[in-house]
Amino acid sequence: MPQPEIVVVDKLVKRYGPRLAVRGVSFTIREGEIVGLLGPNGSGKSTTLRILTGYLPPTAGSARIVGFDIWEHSLAIRNYVGYVPEDAPLYDGMRVIEFLRFMAEIKGLSGRAVGNAVVSVCDRLSLGRLAGMAIGKLSRGYRQRVAIAQALLNDPPILILDEPTNALDAYQVIGIRELIRSLAGRCTVVVASHVLTEIAKVATRVMILRDGNLLTDDAVTSGGGTPRYRLLARGPQPAVLAALRNVPGVAAAAVHADAAASPELATYLVEIASRPEAAEDLARAVVGNGFALLELTQEKPDLEQVFLELTRRADEAIAA
Amino acid sequence: MRKFLSLLKKEEMALFTSPIAYVVMAVYLIVMGYTFTLTLFMSHSPTLVHMFFQIYVMFLLTVPIITMRLIAEERRLGTLEMLLTSPVTELAVVMAKYLASLSLVVLLLVLSSAYAIALAIFGAPDWGPIYSGYLGLFLLGGALVSVGLMTSSLVSNQLIAALLSLSLFLLLWIIDHFGWVLPDPFNAFFVNLSLLVHFTPFATGSLFLSDAGYFISMALLGLFFTVRALAQR
Repeated sequence: MPQPEIVVVDKLVKRYGPRLAVRGVSFTIREGEIVGLLGPNGSGKSTTLRILTGYLPPTAGSARIVGFDIWEHSLAIRNYVGYVPEDAPLYDGMRVIEFLRFMAEIKGLSGRAVGNAVVSVCDRLSLGRLAGMAIGKLSRGYRQRVAIAQALLNDPPILILDEPTNALDAYQVIGIRELIRSLAGRCTVVVASHVLTEIAKVATRVMILRDGNLLTDDAVTSGGGTPRYRLLARGPQPAVLAALRNVPGVAAAAVHADAAASPELATYLVEIASRPEAAEDLARAVVGNGFALLELTQEKPDLEQVFLELTRRADEAIAA
Repeated sequence: MRKFLSLLKKEEMALFTSPIAYVVMAVYLIVMGYTFTLTLFMSHSPTLVHMFFQIYVMFLLTVPIITMRLIAEERRLGTLEMLLTSPVTELAVVMAKYLASLSLVVLLLVLSSAYAIALAIFGAPDWGPIYSGYLGLFLLGGALVSVGLMTSSLVSNQLIAALLSLSLFLLLWIIDHFGWVLPDPFNAFFVNLSLLVHFTPFATGSLFLSDAGYFISMALLGLFFTVRALAQR
């Protein structure tokens, strides 16, 4: 059963004077997803996130978070959203523990809950030994950790991160990436970035924004053309291939070059029209004809290719 | 209420851990000490009227320095975005900043009370004008901090915020001079906008509700526009 929709955005528009920053963007996010918002600088990612956090009002359209309209119930939704703005803005003059206590208190925690929440996020983000340090003296990576820590203090169901790996070195990037992955299952995460490889590594679903337009709300399944499956099956290759080609919707089926040497055990690559029962049909075709199926996986299309293809299509549409 | 107290504590900490508060206090005390000594030896009378006018000028010059960073700095650093996406209202954020800055103004007034105590020990001052003078200075401080906060909410550059509020204060100081040369009914309008016209009765021992109303209205208007500026982002 699919998870309930926790974020619903409908025809969202944001205008800054004469410039349209967001042009009628619509999408939904389900509970527990790690969604990547990918797009070049100036594509409207930060503006979309700022609207979702209640910081900016939309010019038109609507957005709902856990059922609340983001602007009408702005104060209420801020309890459900943990937000880490771009460049991790923090109070440099405060010590880490002072800052986290302050943020916990304004998020509505009181008494022992404040101390417990601060200790908990410090443990999760390895900030314990830095608790007494002034924020202004922290490295960029640790500043980012403190910014994420404040967002997690009240255990919000939604975490929104704007360019969390900006200007970090390779080790720090890996640390933040692992941190985001560790949040899977605990909360719904929306990560915006202009770095394609970063998004590809952490997100379970990728949305692509360009010039304020949403090119796709799922680059992995909708932008990459025909879905491709990889099967490891035992049986005479011509017979297995014939069985696979008989499945409705199969556009192409071939033996993978690396495994072609073995006459009985081979890896097959199958391109099939996108539909929910495609994998089941392929499995049935192999097993139903008396062959052994050892492995069946859907291959994710290369996000870079998807991005280029979608932006090319968008350019063609504009030119037309 | 707990959230508001946390915001207030944070603002008080930011104010009193920055050198600005101490520089303002030091300059204020040096100038006030000099003025008190000079006027006492020149006039030989136990009065603080001259002091009150000196403090009035000091407030016009120092309040922009106290208020310039309040919102402009948060806007420039981006911390305002984090603050306003937390579950706190714009009004709570503004009031915390306002009261924290007003507390420094009150501290300056408390420090200047040493001169009143000195007069009480060595002379027999008329306490009426002293009480009204302090009330006037408190109301003036409240109004100026509010306007300073408002200008800080309009820009992201602290220096511009300070210059904006200083210009406004100086304009409101001398605006009655324009009023006197204008025809009726414009003259009354401009004269009644003057800070000095409304402060003078307090300093000289006269209390009028209209003067108090002027400063309170200015404070409320400033706070209203600050909240609106934050709400409009």
